[in-house]
Amino acid sequence: MHLPDGFLDGKTALLTAGAAGTGIALALRQVKQTLAPRQTPMLGLAAAFIFAAQMINFPVLAGTSGHLVGGVLAGVLLGPAAAVIVMTCVLMVQCLMFNDGGLLALGANVFNMGIVNVWGGYFVFRLFQRMPWMEPNRATLFAASFAAWFGTVLASLTCAGEIACSGTAPWGVTFPAMASIHILIGLGEGLLTGLVLTAVLRARPELVAGWGGQQRVGGSGFLSYGLLVSLGLAVFVAPLACPWSDGLEAVAKTLGFEHRAAGPLFPSPLGNYHLPFIRSAATATALAGVAGILVAFIGAWLLASRLVPKLAARKDHANSQG
Amino acid sequence: MRCGRVGRVPPAAKLALAFAAVLLTVLLPRKPDPLYAVPAAILLGAVVACRVSPIYLLRRLLWAEFFILGIAILSLFSPETRPVCLAVLLKSNLCVTAMLLLTWTTPFHEILRVLRRLRLPAVMLATLALMSRYLPVLGEEARRMERARASRTYGGGRRVIWRSLATVLGQLFIRSADRAERIYLAMTARGWK
Amino acid sequence: MKPAVEIRGLSYRYPRGMVALDGIAFTVAAEECVALLGPNGAGKSTLLLHLNGLLPERPPKEPSIWIDGQPLVAEALGHIRQRVGLLFQDPEDQLISATVFEDVAFGPSQLGMEGSELAALVGRCLESAGVAGFENREPHRLSQGEKRRVCLAGVLACQPSVLVLDEPTSDLDPRGRRQFKALLRGLPGAKIIATHDLELAVDLCSRVLILDEGRLVADGPALPILSDEKLMLAHGLEKPHSLFHHHPHR
Repeated sequence: MHLPDGFLDGKTALLTAGAAGTGIALALRQVKQTLAPRQTPMLGLAAAFIFAAQMINFPVLAGTSGHLVGGVLAGVLLGPAAAVIVMTCVLMVQCLMFNDGGLLALGANVFNMGIVNVWGGYFVFRLFQRMPWMEPNRATLFAASFAAWFGTVLASLTCAGEIACSGTAPWGVTFPAMASIHILIGLGEGLLTGLVLTAVLRARPELVAGWGGQQRVGGSGFLSYGLLVSLGLAVFVAPLACPWSDGLEAVAKTLGFEHRAAGPLFPSPLGNYHLPFIRSAATATALAGVAGILVAFIGAWLLASRLVPKLAARKDHANSQG
Repeated sequence: MRCGRVGRVPPAAKLALAFAAVLLTVLLPRKPDPLYAVPAAILLGAVVACRVSPIYLLRRLLWAEFFILGIAILSLFSPETRPVCLAVLLKSNLCVTAMLLLTWTTPFHEILRVLRRLRLPAVMLATLALMSRYLPVLGEEARRMERARASRTYGGGRRVIWRSLATVLGQLFIRSADRAERIYLAMTARGWK
Repeated sequence: MKPAVEIRGLSYRYPRGMVALDGIAFTVAAEECVALLGPNGAGKSTLLLHLNGLLPERPPKEPSIWIDGQPLVAEALGHIRQRVGLLFQDPEDQLISATVFEDVAFGPSQLGMEGSELAALVGRCLESAGVAGFENREPHRLSQGEKRRVCLAGVLACQPSVLVLDEPTSDLDPRGRRQFKALLRGLPGAKIIATHDLELAVDLCSRVLILDEGRLVADGPALPILSDEKLMLAHGLEKPHSLFHHHPHR
């Protein structure tokens, strides 16, 4: 998902850079308040870890392979604000040392993989972590695994939106392409996130910041990030998703201020979707999305159920030996 | 220095030049234009002047090509965006070449020094510094663990691969956390606050 | 003359409650070289971390350690850390900067030194450590022995009066060990060396402390203690081979 230079036009690059900058500023403020000096070196090492993790290829489908993004894993391990900083640094090093991802596209990459991925995923993580019908350990693993899938897909959506907004490729093509690929890749990410978390929790549960529902993030933190992510989605994704803009027009007509509505901010490069095959591609992707949600959900559930008894057994074993 | 006289140019200038090159290339018109020859010629000249190793150039361009083509192909699917495809391909490659020149001529710790002067927040500077320092160390550790795991694996297919991958990553994280703790002690012992 | 290091009644419990150190007391004179021996888990590293004020996590109100006569309390931590140079077991964790120069300069730059004065100091320390001219090298590309020496240079740069070393020869080859020993021999000031390398203790140290299960079980001149086979074996050690027969590398 690392965007090279040349695909985003000026306005998109600026907008995403602004959004990324805001997100980083928010994260820095939060980290300053909550991070003890003792934990500062950990950010650097965690960044090196995420970089190493991102180098893992896993086979997805007949020849294509996926890469871990790691934003949700970082969020659960370090707390979301620290994760934003870690992911930003990873992306900077990848750009400036390894030419992976463009320089002017850094804003977009940070926004997609550092903010949308981390916070979109973390929001879902916290939502599902407190599922009442699941035992807390199991719920946390399940939540993290599903959130990792969700975060990957969400980040791919904003990425696709940015490409479409720049007029480089039509939304009707980027959306199905990016979304369907990442619906699949996300499954791998969910699986790996769950497995890695289990490995860490088995040995050193105290290292996981998101474990046990530790309140590392205040309400205002959630609010500001939630706004930022929603804004990003609204700007880059919503206007291009045809059913929604139809819906918005209908609402505007009903409420009577249709005449006040200015022209769309980002003229859809696809006009009015006269191409039937693209419309059906969009529908197909939507269906794939639903299928993906189900698979990710059930997969995460199964993962958590199978791995957690082992965790509990280990703890009992350790207690009986101690 | 492997890049000859260019190596003596201050790193801040190199970073600024790379940024300018990328910016100007991105601002070029969206259709393949004779104007494209300008940055192309400048970059080619720079590649020669900096004595960039052809293997390095090819390797990095090919690696980037994979992503560039993958996205550029999408623009072919609509008549409106089709003309953009070639332009985007060319622009993208030119930008990669510009950044490639930067990484060839400027070791990362020099770039870090420039970022420090640009007043990047201290937390990020520290993270970038430690990250770049310990990246090869973690790589070594991961390789050693992978070797140890492989020497005790006798088959088992994909499931085993996933499981052991996760174990290696999990262990890597734990060791990194322990190492971070020791680094904190070592830094504090020498007066860091 | 004030002793370089004085410890009275030092005790420490791990956060989980286990006793790590129990009633430690000893002194080290200004130019003395003392070996700290003991089996694994005896508490050697824990004791060394106390000398630099890194443990306990919260500095004590009542001092148990005095460095050059100054008590180790919260207010004096900065000063103590400059006077006690601690060389950790794994040089990888100590070499934190991108270049050798930056790393050696880390300590003195915290104390406010800069410019040509700093560069001169770094040059001198690299030379004393036997790695002159390494300023622009990258830590990752150094050999194990070179890494250790650069760490030593970094510690010397803070101009300490007490050198504390944790297993300094543990991963060196025989030549590296010999060279490092020669290096240490030439360094002034008090030295406390925690080590498993008994030949090092024989060659460099005039005094020996044996730590076992957090308690000091021996404290005295080196040769008599090291030659006491029964005592050495009782605490997970052994009589150094060089004391069995004449050692040619003395």
